[in-house]
Amino acid sequence: MILRLEANVSVAIGLLMLIIWALAGARHFWPAWVWFGLAIPLGFQVAIRRGLRAPKGHRLLATHGAITGVLAVMLLTIWVLAGAGPFWPVWPILGLSVVFVGHAWIRHALPSAREQALADRVEVLTRTRRGALDVQAAELQRIERDLHDGAQARLVSVAMNLGLAEELLSKNPQSLTELLAEARSSTLTALDDLRTVMRGIQPPVLADRGLEGAIRALALDLAVPVTVSGEIPGRVPVPVESAAYFAVCECLANIVKHSSALQAMVDLGYRNGVLSVAVRDDGVGGASLTAGSGLRGVARRLEVFDGTITLASPAGGPTVVQMEVPCELSSPRT
Amino acid sequence: MRAVIAEDLALLRDGLARILRAHDIDVAAAVGDPVALAAALEEQQPDIAIVDVRMPPTFTNEGLVAAIEARARRPGMPVLVLSQYVEQLYARELMLSGAEGVGYLLKDRVAEVGMFVETVRKVAGGGTVLDPDVVTGMLTHHDRNQVMARLTPREREVLGLMAEGRSNAAIAGKLVVTAKAVDKHINSIFMKLDLPLDADDNRRVLAVLRYLQTD
Repeated sequence: MILRLEANVSVAIGLLMLIIWALAGARHFWPAWVWFGLAIPLGFQVAIRRGLRAPKGHRLLATHGAITGVLAVMLLTIWVLAGAGPFWPVWPILGLSVVFVGHAWIRHALPSAREQALADRVEVLTRTRRGALDVQAAELQRIERDLHDGAQARLVSVAMNLGLAEELLSKNPQSLTELLAEARSSTLTALDDLRTVMRGIQPPVLADRGLEGAIRALALDLAVPVTVSGEIPGRVPVPVESAAYFAVCECLANIVKHSSALQAMVDLGYRNGVLSVAVRDDGVGGASLTAGSGLRGVARRLEVFDGTITLASPAGGPTVVQMEVPCELSSPRT
Repeated sequence: MRAVIAEDLALLRDGLARILRAHDIDVAAAVGDPVALAAALEEQQPDIAIVDVRMPPTFTNEGLVAAIEARARRPGMPVLVLSQYVEQLYARELMLSGAEGVGYLLKDRVAEVGMFVETVRKVAGGGTVLDPDVVTGMLTHHDRNQVMARLTPREREVLGLMAEGRSNAAIAGKLVVTAKAVDKHINSIFMKLDLPLDADDNRRVLAVLRYLQTD
């Protein structure tokens, strides 16, 4: 808008000079210098505008190129207006070109901080995606194995017992008692197995009560007394909720199995868009995040959400597992 | 009759042994992994091996592999393979080791105790018994094969029942037709599958094998 106004004014001034020159006798064509003077600021402005319209990441170089072009045209114009003597503009144009080519080469050879950041991000995403798929595949395998060796096998056994019982009904009814009792207890164990598998997939209490409630429910079932503190002012997204829940499960299971702790604490919080969960115990310490430990799996699950896990577990204790996951909360529970 | 059982889940191993013993089949050994199975077969020389597909160490198809190996060491060794799921592919691999004295059943079938015990005796006697699920799977794909396409739907049904190891009388009962009608269907099947006149049992096995090898 302003550029157009400026261009119009410049054209008007140029025409005015032409009229003055014509009225003054149309001798030596001096208005060319006035036109030249008027064209310089316009040229620079157009060049900078063009340069800044280039795609992100190329703007600096494009602007530099445009300005270089305008300067070169300026030098050539001066040379022409000054009577086209020896071709001196070659030197400054050469200098400008060298600077521009240098700039372009540096741009090309050294990736920008932004590109570097993107490359790093892609690397992280590739790694965490692979990790997530590995974790998921292992989970599915575990679930299949649990069903095959658990509930399914028990139901087959129940069917066998009942089949045999049916046969014995006419021949030897007294012998049925044991078979039927066994079938009943196998059915109940199969139900237990199914509940365990379901809890391993998605504990119903997590859907009912959210992370905080589910962790409180979990704490009640453990052999080591666990205090749960803190509060989350809303509902954590389901995938994060599930990952955080199983992370706490793993930590608490480790405490029960390995730490000889007398008590454990889970502290939940949400600040500045980050869910934080800390699990502490007063046990013997010496836990590690190395491959093979359950905590490694937890780390891989959290990484998917750009979450982090840090572990402080000196020999002799205490052990603190601090987990942080950036996420957005949905509206507080009603 | 003497049987060796290979099943890694103790619950099912005991259940199988109990059923066999209740029907006067001697359980010579009940083992939980393929290595122990090979040893037991060597030592006991049983009339039949009843083998679970999934066993340690990798819990994939060790049992199937062990069964095929056992039949390679002792051709014609009767093997009844049990599994919690059935695959046509596994049935085919098993039949490639020879179609006589082979059975492949879903473990669920054990619950029909009378029929299961009959199957055990049939396989031990050199018969071929495939699970109805495997047979159904093959029936649904009959159109892929030209030879099988020559059979009428009724004949395919009869062939499927033959593959399940049923006798002519049993097939007649199941389809509610006369034994004579079944005979007619079976002869027609043999003719359409170009099976030579031979011992009747052998032709039955060959028909089933032809049926299995269709793709």
